[in-house]
Amino acid sequence: MSELDILFYILSSMSVLFGALVVLTSSPIYSSLYLVMSMLSVAGIFMTLNAPFIAGIQIIVYAGAVLVLFVMVLMLFDLKRETKAFTKGRFSGFLKLVGAGLLCGFIAGAAYESVSLIMATSEEIPTNIAAAAETGFSPTTNSIKEISKLLFTKYLFAFEVLGLLLLVVPIGAVALSRVAGGTHAKH
Amino acid sequence: MGSDVFEISINFVKMVAIFLLMVNLVPMLVWVERRGSAFIQNRFGPNRVGPLGLIQLAADAIKFLFKEEFIPPKGNKALFLIAPIIALIPGAIAFCSIPLSVPIEISAFEMFGSQWGPYVFPFQSFEIGIGIVFVLGVSSLGAYSMLLAGFGSANKYSLYGALRASAQMISYELAMGLAIVGILIVYGTFDFAEMIAAQQGPLSIPLFEADHVVNKVLGILPNWGVFYQPVGFILLFVSVFAETNRLPFDLPEAESELVAGYHTEYGGIKMNMFYIGEYGHMMVASALIAVFYFGGYSLGTTLDTILVEGTIVPNMSALFASLLNLFGSGWEQSTNLINVVRAFVFHGIFMAKILLFLWIFVWVRWTLPRFRYDQLMDLGWKTMLPWALANTILTAFLMLFLR
Repeated sequence: MSELDILFYILSSMSVLFGALVVLTSSPIYSSLYLVMSMLSVAGIFMTLNAPFIAGIQIIVYAGAVLVLFVMVLMLFDLKRETKAFTKGRFSGFLKLVGAGLLCGFIAGAAYESVSLIMATSEEIPTNIAAAAETGFSPTTNSIKEISKLLFTKYLFAFEVLGLLLLVVPIGAVALSRVAGGTHAKH
Repeated sequence: MGSDVFEISINFVKMVAIFLLMVNLVPMLVWVERRGSAFIQNRFGPNRVGPLGLIQLAADAIKFLFKEEFIPPKGNKALFLIAPIIALIPGAIAFCSIPLSVPIEISAFEMFGSQWGPYVFPFQSFEIGIGIVFVLGVSSLGAYSMLLAGFGSANKYSLYGALRASAQMISYELAMGLAIVGILIVYGTFDFAEMIAAQQGPLSIPLFEADHVVNKVLGILPNWGVFYQPVGFILLFVSVFAETNRLPFDLPEAESELVAGYHTEYGGIKMNMFYIGEYGHMMVASALIAVFYFGGYSLGTTLDTILVEGTIVPNMSALFASLLNLFGSGWEQSTNLINVVRAFVFHGIFMAKILLFLWIFVWVRWTLPRFRYDQLMDLGWKTMLPWALANTILTAFLMLFLR
């Protein structure tokens, strides 16, 4: 077992542990903080998989921006009332059932899909690398240039559509806050 | 970490030494801040304890360590205690990934009766291929320490300060990131050492002539990024002030409105850790500015060859060799010794640049008044973001046509 393997086991068990704590803690603040820890350990796993750029983007976007906003917004809520509203009632019970069902489905699906990978012998696994090579990606030392080349040639349309979607989201949020009943409604 | 005992131990020592370098600069900076503010405001500042008031730092450190610990009874104890620790981490880790000098090349030598192979030690704690992405990501985690401190204190002023701080950091991260994109387009790399290598040689500006591009060489000036990205430099320089929560953007701790912002409830060594984090952020920002726009550890090729390589390095390594010879072993002018001395001389140049920018941080803090909150947001979103976008687009087009 090399040092990277040991790191992988530490980081992956950390990400699973913190991921479980996200669901198991009742306080939303703690949940979001555990989510930050989970994201950071996933970034560490990317690092061990020789994808430092993805790891950096993971830290910047998720841990550094999205979850800071989560924590910031959660601090402004009256959390006691929110907790009470979501512990009782038929509707929240239904939501909990749906959530639990989805989680079980995801776990079962992931287990079912990964059986073939776990059972695979060492000769079969390199086919994944061959499959990755078919998409045009060659993992070299300078992976950033490879990623950007792919993004701006082969996947240009999807990239631009995603950019447009992300542009629509803030504009929509501003527009929604201005309609009657919104936080910035014009009287 | 390394292939054998020598390499691993040197790398370990290097890691600890660079962290200690960062932490030990903080008391010096506090002294510079106090004496500098006194100099700017035409008063004396601390001058009683020791020469120039330097022992005051030791007195302060002892006071910080032995103060009574206080935890707000209604606050969240775990978050309250973890916030100062998180404040220390981003600055320390980000500073570790910046190359502080040229790599030290050690050729094969004999020690303790065995051969030790040739090594190359980069002058940084760890080399990470993505350089700037890593630094940006790690330093954006600094917002958590303020948020947790504000929330864990169970104090309205702390919470207001924390919200202001994180909103400010998120807003100015946009302008900072876009200013850095301009410099990334110019150099075409994420790696700090490659950026510094790209700034060698005399300044040569590509110009349009009739139907082709001509490189016009301006001999005296060094090939520094500030000549290619003046707008980007100004934008980055302004936004790091907001990122480090320093005056004129220190709204999170505006004492006339919020007592002391997010660290109102902190005292003793815990408050000191917030300070260390803030100064660590400042050091990282200064180092980034030096690497992007002022040639990092090099003084420009002309000065490097004549002054550093030609005069300082040979003389200093001769001096060190004669000093080491006093202890009896047979040291002579070996290339290894010259390489080590050379790395430390370039490190000194880099530290001089960092200290210059740190002094500008202090200077600005005690010269300019504070912004109002809406002015701060207007400056960030309505002025700096459009300028940064325009700078990025213009740079991209120019690089496309001049290539």
